[in-house]
Amino acid sequence: MNTVQISGTPHTRKHRTTRGIMIDVLIALIPATIAGIVYFGARAAVTIAISMFAAVATEWVWLLCKKKSFKEIWEQYDFSSSVTGLLLGLTLPAFEYKYFYIPLLSAVFAVGVAKMLFGGTGKNIVNPAIAGRVFAFISFQSPMVSGWMTPQYASLGNAVASSATPLTAMLGQGLQSMGVTSLDLFLGTGVMGCIGETCKLALLVGGIYLVCRGVIKWQWPVIYIVMTGLISCAMGKDMAYFVPSILSGGLMLGAIFMATDYVTSPNNKWASYVYYTVLGIITALLRFGTKIEVVSFAILLMNLIVPLLNMYIRPRPFGAAPIPQVIKGKIAAIKEKAAAKKQAKEGDAQ
Amino acid sequence: MKARKGKFFAKGIHVPDNKALSKDVPIETLEAPDIVAICVQQHIGKPSIPVVETGADVYMGQLIAKEAGYIGANVYSSVSGTVMGVEKRKNINGTMSDYIVIQNDHHYRKMELEPLADREPATIKARIREAGIVGMGGAGFPTEVKLSPKQAVDSLVINAAECEPYLTCDYRLMLERTDDVAAGIRLLAKALGVDKIYVGIEANKPDAVALFEKYDDMQVVVLKKAYPMGSEKHLIYSCTGRKVPVGKLPADAGCVVQNVATAVAVYEAVELNKPLYERVMTVSGKGCIHPKNLLVKFGTGFGALRDSCGEKPEAAMFVAGGPMMGPAMASTDVYTTKTSSGFLMLLPEEIDVREPQACVNCGKCADVCPMNLLPMQIDFYTQAGQYDLAAKFGGVANCISCGCCAYVCPSKRALTQSITLCKQKLNERRQTK
Repeated sequence: MNTVQISGTPHTRKHRTTRGIMIDVLIALIPATIAGIVYFGARAAVTIAISMFAAVATEWVWLLCKKKSFKEIWEQYDFSSSVTGLLLGLTLPAFEYKYFYIPLLSAVFAVGVAKMLFGGTGKNIVNPAIAGRVFAFISFQSPMVSGWMTPQYASLGNAVASSATPLTAMLGQGLQSMGVTSLDLFLGTGVMGCIGETCKLALLVGGIYLVCRGVIKWQWPVIYIVMTGLISCAMGKDMAYFVPSILSGGLMLGAIFMATDYVTSPNNKWASYVYYTVLGIITALLRFGTKIEVVSFAILLMNLIVPLLNMYIRPRPFGAAPIPQVIKGKIAAIKEKAAAKKQAKEGDAQ
Repeated sequence: MKARKGKFFAKGIHVPDNKALSKDVPIETLEAPDIVAICVQQHIGKPSIPVVETGADVYMGQLIAKEAGYIGANVYSSVSGTVMGVEKRKNINGTMSDYIVIQNDHHYRKMELEPLADREPATIKARIREAGIVGMGGAGFPTEVKLSPKQAVDSLVINAAECEPYLTCDYRLMLERTDDVAAGIRLLAKALGVDKIYVGIEANKPDAVALFEKYDDMQVVVLKKAYPMGSEKHLIYSCTGRKVPVGKLPADAGCVVQNVATAVAVYEAVELNKPLYERVMTVSGKGCIHPKNLLVKFGTGFGALRDSCGEKPEAAMFVAGGPMMGPAMASTDVYTTKTSSGFLMLLPEEIDVREPQACVNCGKCADVCPMNLLPMQIDFYTQAGQYDLAAKFGGVANCISCGCCAYVCPSKRALTQSITLCKQKLNERRQTK
């Protein structure tokens, strides 16, 4: 007789693996990567390559230091650090070659500090790619800003985008001074920005792929993006703000790929709806408050309260009493308590 | 009565059901082997007490072990022959129990129960108890106890969903012995004193639905094809629209759920005076050469089932019951009981024994959990030894152990096992208090 295997129930399982999901995310990022390289040239490709390499190398070196063999690491490798590296590269500007150390250090920080120090895959409390970007932003301010370059393709409109995010200008001086059309913003032509964030079309294609593959739910990015748009309109008291505000800056990239990161987003339906709603509100409010790109900061902020959301917003078990009944019961209990107290008081008085 | 669609139920999973393997194979009787070993504990509750001596001659259908309390069941000999003794042998799940070992003389000399004088509810219930009938869907809870709820009930729900992949034994029973099943259902309803009968059948068995539509006293409900549609709480919700309150029994929602195989056993006990000593099992899996539905005498070794249906050399795993909830067996030297509904021989391509990886908090388990729990939280706190927090934040007390969470988990985490561990620890704690 051949050897018999034993496993815990269930014996059949879905074929989907964490590795498969991460590879799906990498595939979904391909259009945005290509668009970035087309718009910003070889420098973009180099930045992304350095960032990806550094991210993966950091994880592998870390695991090798923990005395794991190459074979073991490869078998358990789930490609999440590749995703981190690629996402980080896409959120950085296309640096001049002399600044090669910025993506390198950011990626090492992202994976080494934000992920591995906290315990590796699944244990990090903030999104590593966001942590890396914020690290770069704070540590290397001048190259981060001077590194912005005008894309190789001119704007479809006649004006040239003049600031980091056209949104800042738009919000500061009104819609007409924005300088680019919504179509420019959508396609990323003539818009300055980070490598991956300018071509919204590419990001949308990636997002649709992720939704179709069941990696993310369509509600997640939609709630975030729509909420940001609506709050921007409310702040500017004009519905015309809606389209430019959702098409500018790193919102699309953040909403589709960064905020939806499994590890640092809530684990059940209602908690995640709250998460993306608040995220949208915070992003819109911060945009009005500062002149820097705020999506990464908003996501970083919200990542920190995810454990609280998971703890306090939980689904109700099947067969739990309907909510109105629960409230009624609570009110009745309070009334009963008050009546008992009153009775006790009267008893004391007598 | 015309079939009605079941109430929509969004959660749960869609497992490839592989029922086509054994779906069209008629029920065959399996010749019992020379030696049968009948377990004295084939049900939930206290083990029964053997009442036969070593060397005694027994008839097929003779009482060999008597119930040992209210939650208990009689055990009958499934063959005629000589008792070789009471021995400790291995159960399906690896624990040990007493087994009454009988040498089969292959004459099948029959002993029947006394014919019943009337068909009053009390008489039927007494007969169900006497015949040792337990829930044959898998739990093995004594049927008579289930038919005597403390709460007022108004409906009987028949579980004909058979949502476990591969298993077709209930389906074959419904097809081949439709009238017996219906008679058993009527007897159950009479014993319970209810007139509303729902028969829940999954949408992938349209011929069974058509057969049961001809009875005017029962409402056929076509259930959505999903796992775990055969879970009591979800079956009741789908059939009657009632939800069993958290932490309560189906009887609190006015329902009693019984299985198709149980209904047949009740019919046989009441009308044919035959105690429970055999049942229909499905032998299937892609590692099985001739998948079959077999009428098996209790105490037949799984080895005999394997020999009867043929095993492919590359079969990698033996499972007793369905692949979602049935335990994997270390060897086939174990014996069939009242609750064995199937025997699967699975190929490596059908099973998944990959090592678990770190949880990435994707929430897919919470998306499919039919009880709306948070399995990843239970797993997290159980791994940390915080069983109270697992109960508070995960809701482990409501878990029905269906295994949907582990099925979808992309990290292949052993969620079912974590949950079982947590339940056991909480139970221990409650008992020591």
